[in-house]
Amino acid sequence: MKPSPEDLEKFIHQTLRSLPARRAPLSLESRVRAAIEARAALPWWRQSFAAWPVAARVAFLIGSAGIAKLAIMAVVWAMAGFDGALLANAFSTQFAWVQTVSGVFTAIGNFFGTVYRAIPPLWLYGGLAAVAALYAALFGLGATAYRLLYANR
Amino acid sequence: MNDDTPVQTPPTGLITPADFTTFMRNYQDMVFSTAARLTGNDAQAEDISQEVFLKAYEHFDMLQTSPTAGGWLKTVATNLSLNHLSRYRNRWKFFSEYRRDDSAGESETPDVDFAAPDTFFSGVDADERRAWVEAALEKLPEHQRVPLVLYHFEDLPYEDIARKLGVSLAKVKTDILRARTALAAIIARSGAPHENFSA
Repeated sequence: MKPSPEDLEKFIHQTLRSLPARRAPLSLESRVRAAIEARAALPWWRQSFAAWPVAARVAFLIGSAGIAKLAIMAVVWAMAGFDGALLANAFSTQFAWVQTVSGVFTAIGNFFGTVYRAIPPLWLYGGLAAVAALYAALFGLGATAYRLLYANR
Repeated sequence: MNDDTPVQTPPTGLITPADFTTFMRNYQDMVFSTAARLTGNDAQAEDISQEVFLKAYEHFDMLQTSPTAGGWLKTVATNLSLNHLSRYRNRWKFFSEYRRDDSAGESETPDVDFAAPDTFFSGVDADERRAWVEAALEKLPEHQRVPLVLYHFEDLPYEDIARKLGVSLAKVKTDILRARTALAAIIARSGAPHENFSA
């Protein structure tokens, strides 16, 4: 005889509700204690902000406000007319090596730029499409292998 | 709150307050059961239980005198378990759900007299019966087990379950009905000595 959904619900409900609570593993208590000890052993600056000493919290807020103010002032100063050439002249002797390195990178960039312009656009798009297709194929193969060999185990 | 007498070994070298240890012993079975039945995995349930008690420790000032501490713990355990499941599901969905077996149990409505579990399980000792049902619950697919547990153990109405799981009300009702049928079939297949299932 097929039971009605109501009978089935009643049966399952009574069956499930008659179950006692499952016994927690013995290791749970020690794990929680160890985690609490580990948290307590952390220095205050690695704990949550709420756990910081009040003085440290106040100092942090004041310091943050000061840094924000400096950043805003720097932006305003730069927008008001920053002379880059003046700065470069002032530091030209100390940072001569920067110019050398910059020259090397510019030359490399120019080389690749020339090569890039020499390649027909169709080749570039074709290459990109091939890379995308290979990536998709590899991903699909991986997913299929996982589903067939591992997920159904 | 747990009705069972705690059997855990006494703690040694505690730096946690003794009150918290007692509190944890009172509720750890309930928290673990909630997480284990939702996740269907004891190792994950232990991780989630640990997280629940760490949160409880942070709010222990409030919880130790609260008459609703058990409810708070159960809600946190449920929410953390559901978060865990949705994270895991999203991460592995593409790889693991090759075909979704929505039809599990559909064709296996057992022909059985559901008069009462006590009658059905008579002749089976309580531990064996518990182990059977827990194992049957674990065997259910996640999309059936989770709403079933929320409905029958957590007493959530269908609407709340649908909202929590982010699925339609119709789907929740269907999944729960299929879960009940599948659960009954699995229990029947487990082979109670006197059972009259014919699944």
